[in-house]
Amino acid sequence: MRPKSLSRVELAAGLLASAGAVVFVTAAIAELKPYVPVLSLGVLYVFAVLPVAVFWGIGLAALVSVASMLAFNWFFLPPTHTFQLSDGANWLALAVYLVTAIVVSALAASARRRAELAELREREAAALAGEVLEAEALRRSDAIKTAVLHAVSHDLRSPLTAIVAAASVLANSELLLADGDRVELISTIRSEADRLDRIVGNLLDMSRLDGGVAAAHPELWPPEELVGRAVEQAGPEAERIVVDIDVDAPPVRVDAVQIERVLVNLLDNALKFSPPGSPVHVRAEERDEELLLHVVDQGPGVAAGEREAVFAPFRRGDGVVVRGAGLGLAIARGFSEANGARVWAEDDPWGGHFVLALPVAERTPVVV
Amino acid sequence: MSRILVVDDEPQILRALEMSLRGAGYDVDTATTGAQALTTAAVQPPDAVILDLVLPDMRGTEVCRELRTWTSVPVIVLSVVGDESEKVAALDAGADDYVTKPFGVDELLARLRAALRRVDGETEPVRDVGELRVDIAGREVTFAGRPVQLTPHEFTFLSLLIRNEGKLLTHKTILEEVWGHAYAAESHYLHVYVSQLRRKLEPDPARPRYILTEPGVGYRLVDPSRRTS
Repeated sequence: MRPKSLSRVELAAGLLASAGAVVFVTAAIAELKPYVPVLSLGVLYVFAVLPVAVFWGIGLAALVSVASMLAFNWFFLPPTHTFQLSDGANWLALAVYLVTAIVVSALAASARRRAELAELREREAAALAGEVLEAEALRRSDAIKTAVLHAVSHDLRSPLTAIVAAASVLANSELLLADGDRVELISTIRSEADRLDRIVGNLLDMSRLDGGVAAAHPELWPPEELVGRAVEQAGPEAERIVVDIDVDAPPVRVDAVQIERVLVNLLDNALKFSPPGSPVHVRAEERDEELLLHVVDQGPGVAAGEREAVFAPFRRGDGVVVRGAGLGLAIARGFSEANGARVWAEDDPWGGHFVLALPVAERTPVVV
Repeated sequence: MSRILVVDDEPQILRALEMSLRGAGYDVDTATTGAQALTTAAVQPPDAVILDLVLPDMRGTEVCRELRTWTSVPVIVLSVVGDESEKVAALDAGADDYVTKPFGVDELLARLRAALRRVDGETEPVRDVGELRVDIAGREVTFAGRPVQLTPHEFTFLSLLIRNEGKLLTHKTILEEVWGHAYAAESHYLHVYVSQLRRKLEPDPARPRYILTEPGVGYRLVDPSRRTS
């Protein structure tokens, strides 16, 4: 709200500006006097009144109106350098001027006040809306963060538990262990540490995607090579994967490291949610400007209403944060988008079916 | 017996590396800073260096560049996942290879053996890698005894790879050596080109065993029978 009364500093500034304005307009009229009938120049004092009305309000503006009327009388109306007037008509002119000046300044001041009020309301409304939104977003992201942290700590803790248990058994000299047991414990430590590394890798990928630092470096790649490398990283179950990609499939323009992460996660997902020993098929299909890689398994697939939700971090279909649900599909989605590619769950009555659509490179002659 | 200089500021990693390298029959020197590494390498010249890319006093890449001003000792750098540009910088600064943390000691030892082997036999005119034989002077290539027809650029590329068997060559190095400086930035065609070459050489081009891709970094030629990891 605009303060009702002016502060001392404001008042001083206002008085100074008012005096300046009157002096300025008076000087201007003195300059113009030889060319124009002086009585018609009195109206120029409105230019002194208006700014004062806008910036300091009606009170000072009225004062300026009176002061400028007196100044006009004193300097320009005969007999000059007196406050007397020789012509009665001049009284009327001064009176009309004074009324005009005061009305104009009242209008200007109230317009200014209204504008300020509107601006203030708008700011208050915006601030309020912002606070509400922020509070809501904070509450929601806090809830998700807490849930995700729970899920992450669980996912991290299970391999850690296995490692600590295995190591402490090995360290205990009182236990009699068969050689086979010893080897098994050591391989447990190794494989659980690998699992831990994969989880940390996923978290790192996710934070890169969230932080927007996952800039893609697209190059031309033969799709069979991208898939081949992803299959190699799919771990001990990789032999279930059946790849059917024509060697003449067109090269795609993507960041190989990132698209491999997408494919590894899609393959992991397919292997995890399909019956042991059943095959996971990868086939390619060229459609428009894209190369579609289909990853098809014989698991239960994704229910119709959950096909988007599965791409949210740590969440399954119903949006609920689940331990062990992991980040795989969220990472697949994130890196796809960074590469101008698309990934989605396909409606397929036969089983799980994910599609990765990669941008095909324009056909260019290859250097020989 | 070969002398290996290990440079890492993590005491546990340093200790584990020292133990496994001694166990494999190497003499081991250790350093925990870049400055210490450079001094040790000067006083007691090693046969190979294992170098962490992140050191308290300087980047591993700088240590590498510094070493290259006076020695061609093989350098294997240790790096973390996802830092392709740093790996490329280290390789372009003269490193021979990298191993990604966390790594199995088997893998590191295999890379180390390959690096030491390269120093031993750099001048043989005929190279055998698995079933692949390249007669560099005679410009002839056979795979499992059967002749392979290559274009001139393919031959130059393959001989570059085979002269550096096991060594990781960056895209920039390959493009400069095979096509010339003007093509140093054209890496996006390289992958398609390599897949053509593989079709002439590899039994299963989609799962290559000889010419291996390090995405975002480069290519290396390996002997499949020697791969351990």
